[in-house]
Amino acid sequence: MNFVLIFLITIFSLSLFFYGRSKTKSISIEKNIKLNALPKFYGYYLVLWCSIPSLVFLLIWTLFEPAIIKSIIIETAANQGAIFNDKNEANLIYEKIKAIYAGTYFGDIDTILKESALSYAKFINLFTNSKIVLIFGIVIASVIYSLKKIKNNNKARDDVEVILKGLLFASSLIAILTTLGIIFSLLFESIKFFSVINIFDYLFGTNWSPQRAFVSDASAITAAEYDELKDAFGFIPLIAGTSFIAFIAMLVAVPIGLFSGIYMAEYASVKVRRISKPIIEILAGIPTVVYGFFAALTVGPFFRQIGENLGLTVSSESALAAGLIMGIMIIPYVSSLSDDVINSVPQSLRDGSYAVGATKSETIKKVVIPAALPGIIGSVLLAVSRAIGETMIVVMAAGLAANLTINPLESTTTITTQIVMILVGDQEFDSPKTQSAFALGLTLFIATLVLNYIAQRAVKKYREKYD
Amino acid sequence: MNEIKIKSKNLNVYYGEKQALFDVNLDLNEKEVTALIGPSGCGKSTFIRCINRMNDVIDICKVSGNIEIDGVEINDKNLDVVSLRERVGMVFQKPNPFPKSIYDNISYGPKIHGKGETKSELDEIVENSLKKAALWEEVKDRLDEPGTGLSGGQQQRLCIARAISVNPEVILMDEPCSALDPIATAKIEELIDELKKTYTIVIVTHSMAQAVRVSQKTGFFHLGKLIEVGKTEKIFKNPDNKMTQDYITGRFG
Repeated sequence: MNFVLIFLITIFSLSLFFYGRSKTKSISIEKNIKLNALPKFYGYYLVLWCSIPSLVFLLIWTLFEPAIIKSIIIETAANQGAIFNDKNEANLIYEKIKAIYAGTYFGDIDTILKESALSYAKFINLFTNSKIVLIFGIVIASVIYSLKKIKNNNKARDDVEVILKGLLFASSLIAILTTLGIIFSLLFESIKFFSVINIFDYLFGTNWSPQRAFVSDASAITAAEYDELKDAFGFIPLIAGTSFIAFIAMLVAVPIGLFSGIYMAEYASVKVRRISKPIIEILAGIPTVVYGFFAALTVGPFFRQIGENLGLTVSSESALAAGLIMGIMIIPYVSSLSDDVINSVPQSLRDGSYAVGATKSETIKKVVIPAALPGIIGSVLLAVSRAIGETMIVVMAAGLAANLTINPLESTTTITTQIVMILVGDQEFDSPKTQSAFALGLTLFIATLVLNYIAQRAVKKYREKYD
Repeated sequence: MNEIKIKSKNLNVYYGEKQALFDVNLDLNEKEVTALIGPSGCGKSTFIRCINRMNDVIDICKVSGNIEIDGVEINDKNLDVVSLRERVGMVFQKPNPFPKSIYDNISYGPKIHGKGETKSELDEIVENSLKKAALWEEVKDRLDEPGTGLSGGQQQRLCIARAISVNPEVILMDEPCSALDPIATAKIEELIDELKKTYTIVIVTHSMAQAVRVSQKTGFFHLGKLIEVGKTEKIFKNPDNKMTQDYITGRFG
């Protein structure tokens, strides 16, 4: 139904464009007056007035209709004698009624359910019909209003500007509100978690094993149970594992990325640059899951083989394998960003250095790199935040056990891996175990936020200096 | 008349397909200021960039012909460009101090060439260079502040001091005052007058008045060709060539 309505509104508004355009043209000829805007703006004006109010109404209606019908139906069911003790049971009955209406319910249907289903059908019809009527009303009203306006030769150009500005503003508002919504949902779930687990026990605990965290009743945890619990949610091994793997990744990505950036910016001929830069950037386009199985199936076993030959015990899921592959994944970020900042160091600085007799490498080392340093640091920090947020590679190659270790040959785990492990599969939503995923998410979010902020400040400071 | 320091013979420069200089034959005298004038794009800057081989930096640039300094050919593949540039310093159109301290800006060149092994030797080089560039009094108390924080005129004198720091024989100046106000320009011109006692100076300028004020010899370029060269006085009072006459009287350019 909604699609049909949207389709009709769209077709109708588009045809109004041509109507508005030719109408105003003929008005201007008939009355021999100068229009206040080009004819096409009157067309746009009609289109926007016809489509936006009705579509916004349709959107709001569609958002609220199910909830309203649900509350009405549950109330009528209760009036007819249905018994439910809490919200969950009410929901269950409502789902049954919906299933009966859709013809997909195969259980016993008693009179209460039957009556409710009938009234459900009635309400659905009522709502759909009134929706159609209202939308037509709105379309007609707004078209009449806007037609009247254009007949009075209004300043359609300015009005279109205002409407478009409003549309653009609404879009950015949606983006911001969504972000805020995500942050708040993280925050609220985390608060629930921290109401059970003390935040300091979480931040400074050295043991992470949420599988052990069974709670019979989350609302009444005994002191003994809590001792057990707090031992299950210690953040230190995760942040240690995350930083450790990110560190290994940086050991790979920073030198290689930076050097290749320097080569691209300073040494490569135009031809080489044109070919090799896109190739390096292809690395950034490889799906991380592909890197993941490369790490898990090729690199991990390869290291274990070498380790065995050397007489070392190497776990097949190791921090080294994950960090190495993650580093390779990050190379293009570092190289392309540092290439950009090095390129934006003014040529005049290089000339100044050459003119006192410095060689190319001296110039790069002593003038270009120091001048580009804030930008380079910014690009490295962005890469770090990318590394600690990376999930797929570590899920596949780093391991699951939260070992607090600095041996790169052992398996470790990261914040992201644990979030995946906690939320995969069946979950009870009010257990501390599930909620801990949100706490982890929040911690990770704050960490990357801080890194990105510092990185952007560094890059900005650099830009100010040369712009 | 001073001795000839730099001699160019049949110098041709190409940027890709485009020829920028045509058979330029120009002699520059030692410890004298030579001004090169001419409309934009006439090849003046290209010419002085041949003297310290700065054109090497540009990939598509090809130079043929000869340039001799003290009778030694410098347009030679086997020549050590680094030591050439040590002898031939350059100051650019826009002041380009490094984003380092004033001290580091000056000590950069000497350090690269291994001059001034000890701190006190370096200090001395820095002080002397800044004094020669008439900047010492203004900055002696803030040598560790960034060079980019100085005013435009001070920055340009800092760049001159940087060029002097490696003790060159020749200083090339590519429109050194075009980004400066009249007062800063006057200071630089005064400085050039002083510097010519020690160095051979070649200055590219768009200001006829500046050429008259600072130079002893003037060369007029047009469309990549050296049209006329002679004593500054003669060029501006009584040029041989009609085109030179038109240019200096402002009829084209």
